[in-house]
Amino acid sequence: MFALTVARRYLLSNPAQTALLVAGVALGVTAFVFITALIQGLAVRLTDDVTANSAHVSLAPLTRVARVLPSPDADVEAVAIVSTFQRRQIRAWASTVALLRTQTSVSAISPQISGSAFLVKGEAVAPVAVTAIDPAGLDAISPISTKIVSGAASLGADGILIGVRLAENLGLSSGQPVLFRTDRGVDRLLTIRGVFETGLQSLDERVAYLSIQTARPLFRLPEGVTNIEVKLVDPHRAREIAAFLREATGLRTTSWQEKNASLESGLEAQAQTGTLIQTFSLISVLIGIASALSLSANRRRGEIGIMRAFGISKGFIATVFVLQGLLIGMVGAGIGCLSGFALCSWLATLTKPDGSMALPIVPAEGGYVAVFVLTILGAVLASVIPARSAARLDPLEAIQQ
Amino acid sequence: MSAVLDARGIGMSFRNGDELTEVLKGVDLTLMPGELAALLGASGSGKSTLLSIVGLLLRPTTGTISIGGQRVEILSESERAEFRNRRLGFIFQFHHLLPDFTATENVAFPAAAPAGGISPSMRSRARDLLARVGLADRMDFPATRLSGGQKQRVAIARALMNSPELVLADEPTGSLDRVAAEQVLDLMREVNREDKATFLVCTHDEKVAARCMRRITLQDGRVEGASVSDGPPG
Repeated sequence: MFALTVARRYLLSNPAQTALLVAGVALGVTAFVFITALIQGLAVRLTDDVTANSAHVSLAPLTRVARVLPSPDADVEAVAIVSTFQRRQIRAWASTVALLRTQTSVSAISPQISGSAFLVKGEAVAPVAVTAIDPAGLDAISPISTKIVSGAASLGADGILIGVRLAENLGLSSGQPVLFRTDRGVDRLLTIRGVFETGLQSLDERVAYLSIQTARPLFRLPEGVTNIEVKLVDPHRAREIAAFLREATGLRTTSWQEKNASLESGLEAQAQTGTLIQTFSLISVLIGIASALSLSANRRRGEIGIMRAFGISKGFIATVFVLQGLLIGMVGAGIGCLSGFALCSWLATLTKPDGSMALPIVPAEGGYVAVFVLTILGAVLASVIPARSAARLDPLEAIQQ
Repeated sequence: MSAVLDARGIGMSFRNGDELTEVLKGVDLTLMPGELAALLGASGSGKSTLLSIVGLLLRPTTGTISIGGQRVEILSESERAEFRNRRLGFIFQFHHLLPDFTATENVAFPAAAPAGGISPSMRSRARDLLARVGLADRMDFPATRLSGGQKQRVAIARALMNSPELVLADEPTGSLDRVAAEQVLDLMREVNREDKATFLVCTHDEKVAARCMRRITLQDGRVEGASVSDGPPG
């Protein structure tokens, strides 16, 4: 293709200018790759933090709402009263668990009794959110046993695990007894078997774990459970699987995304910000290409005029400039992707004093294919304006200049 | 023998605001095959405009033009471009060679661009033409390494690449020193004589005109004296 030969010669005729132009494109692409890898990495880290320490789908009984009963007499209204005497529960939890076990998308199941209680130590009283679970499945939803800082992760009869902040507030340590008072008015002396530290203040200050057998009399739930927590093989399918389980069980189901709506909206906002930065970096690349090719077309007016005088088609001349844009885009995008990957890979090796990554960057998530294709398409588009102006040059005017 | 160029009643006017400037006022011009004609005239006489019209770079306001028996003023823009490429050759005061290409590539360019590349036969013809214009030892030199006279000789070879019926030269020696100008004129005469190529040379230089076999003088948009060829050159 002769136009390609001409385009290549034009670019090589001024190596320094072409190198600068390619470097500009590569720099923009590197910035794109860095931002993409960082935003993806941040999203993956935040999502992993949430999904690693919480259930992906929660099943609970339907909420009971007081409702107005139909009455033949318009002047009289009857209301069905909601009983608050008995805690809402899933009575047929065993069959629900059996159903969940048949699902290949489910990786762990934890039937639980959740409730509110107080820990009383002398004059000090602290409210706690209680999670009562099967001791064998202590780590099914959140790896608590790895977070134990004193005592052991054992939930025997009358045993309780509490967070490190709560222990500090009440002056408690493992092995000590503590008075446990439920929201049903039942008191019992429990022994602190272990103290955990998750790093999340809300958990370390407010959450306590019991065995489900210990919790049954305390919360007056001899048979049922209040909720069933489920972990999935793929946390990103939580919404879809929650909808399926809602249909299959008739229970109220909540995905981890619904429980963490603020996280999701935060990630969306972050992604939008990233898109803006990516767009601006691409636009700056395209403006660079368009202006450089426009200057080149202007500098070569005489040559273009002669070509037009010799009857060389407008299409040929336009193709020469579009091909220059394409070559600059391809080489710049290629170098930019490589340098972006190298930069991200180096940044991923940097660590904080505690050994964790300095930047939550995922080099593999740099959006390489997207930026490569977008840069090439953009470079071709950016070259269209100079290509058209070169092709439309009046040969007489150009030659006489 | 039919005329290579037969232009009748060529008029050209430009509007500048409310003012209408008439540059050419009904010019008749014929060139027979193998003629080497000088188009003379003072600055502003309209000679460059006439050359541009004959070269299909400008459309006349009035008149008809036939080149090689084909009416050309009625052609569309793309047809005119194709006609220029296949049947006309141009030599300009400024050669405007492609600086990033060799002498051979520059000569072959008018044939190579429409064909999508330089074929061996194109390269061979370009080299023959370069040898013809005395540049056998400069064929693979980049255009930037040639002298002004050598560049203009490459431009002449380029104009002949597609074997045009009519070569139009606009002040071909205008940017050359005396020695180089003489060489270029000798070359044009030689090509005209040996290849029977028809030349219309636009110039204001009497020395250039003296080397041509026929003089056509434009004054105030009209041809002075005989403008229609008496016949083929002797």
